[in-house]
Amino acid sequence: MAEAARTTRIPLVERVLEANDEVAAANRAQLERRGIFSVDLIGAPGSGKTALLEATLRALRGRRQPAVLVGDLATRRDGDRLARWCDQVVQISTGQGCHLEANQVRDALAEIDLDAVDLLFIENVGNLICPVGFDLGQSAKVGLFSTAEGEDKAAKHPYLVEAADLILLNKVDLLPYLAFDRSFFEADVRLLNPRVPILGVSATTGEGLEAWLAWLERAARSGLPASTD
Amino acid sequence: MRGVHEFSIAEALVAQVQRHAPPSGRVREVEICVGALRGLEPDALRMSWEAVTHGTSIDGAILHVDLRPWTITCSSCGRTWTSPVPFVACACGDPAPRPTAGDELDLVSLTVETEED
Ligand SMILES: Nc1nc2c(ncn2[C@@H]2O[C@H](COP(=O)(O)OP(=O)(O)OP(=O)(O)O)[C@@H](O)[C@H]2O)c(=O)[nH]1
Ligand SMILES: [Mg+2]
Ligand SMILES: [Zn+2]
Ligand SMILES: [Zn+2]
Repeated sequence: MAEAARTTRIPLVERVLEANDEVAAANRAQLERRGIFSVDLIGAPGSGKTALLEATLRALRGRRQPAVLVGDLATRRDGDRLARWCDQVVQISTGQGCHLEANQVRDALAEIDLDAVDLLFIENVGNLICPVGFDLGQSAKVGLFSTAEGEDKAAKHPYLVEAADLILLNKVDLLPYLAFDRSFFEADVRLLNPRVPILGVSATTGEGLEAWLAWLERAARSGLPASTD
Repeated sequence: MRGVHEFSIAEALVAQVQRHAPPSGRVREVEICVGALRGLEPDALRMSWEAVTHGTSIDGAILHVDLRPWTITCSSCGRTWTSPVPFVACACGDPAPRPTAGDELDLVSLTVETEED
């Protein structure tokens, strides 16, 4: 009795990252229920994510009750820097993982006293590619570029630019020393995401910080039509 | 291998395929559809796929990647076309027509082989 093989094509339509998306949706519901506005800060290694958050936390002292989750491959250095300005900092060691996933954020949120928080910053792992595709449950995605990386970086990372609710260009204090044409950078951003606000900042000199803080306050108040897709 | 951006996607996909595979069958082919916005490389996806499936119950299954291109829309001449890359000039002379793309990342089908008498 010979056995015949039968092949069957099973059609499915299911998101590959559905498991992550479900956890992200639960994170989002938990944060929204508590009225906590959250920012997923995505940028290249060394673009100044931690430096910007240090300056931001310092400026928000007495005005807001922030918490920070910080993803890092191998060290606790960023968490230690941020803990100088904020009581509630949770370091997420991603080991070899090049981005944060929603379950890591869920676990980190469990370590925070959320009753004492009204604003959450998530510093993603330094990477312009992978973090964009993994929803964490954040209210807004902020794409951080820096002048030192070169004016073509928005064009080379269209997913981040398209998905961002705000584009920050950090290290504007270095513009006099660099052949960085800000109009090229902004034109590329505009082409990919015509409506996204673009703000120039310097985490070291504080230039542009007020506009960034004002965006935060406005977005937190209005709840922002966030990157929930 | 971990440094490849496609690796974590392949890992998620393997878990998903194993959830859907009927217990009595062998998964021969897996078809996914990826929007250009994701920036994923089909070759790197297939390499990661082979590494992640190696030694598992779906070892040997072939991954088909349907990469959806960018849509380019030129507001100067009204032309619309598809392109593998986002930044292209239009034949009419407009240096910067608008690129748009989807960010879908979907499992589309499994092809399963079952033995029968
Ligand atoms: N001149 C100048 N330097 C800056 C600015 N912001 C950050 N830096 C410097 O850039 C370097 C990297 O800053 P970090 O804040 O560690 O960058 P990061 O994005 O958090 O880096 P990773 O977490 O490792 O991905 C540090 O030496 C900072 O002092 C800025 O606005 N201007
Ligand atoms: Mg950092
Ligand atoms: Zn990656
Ligand atoms: Zn044209």
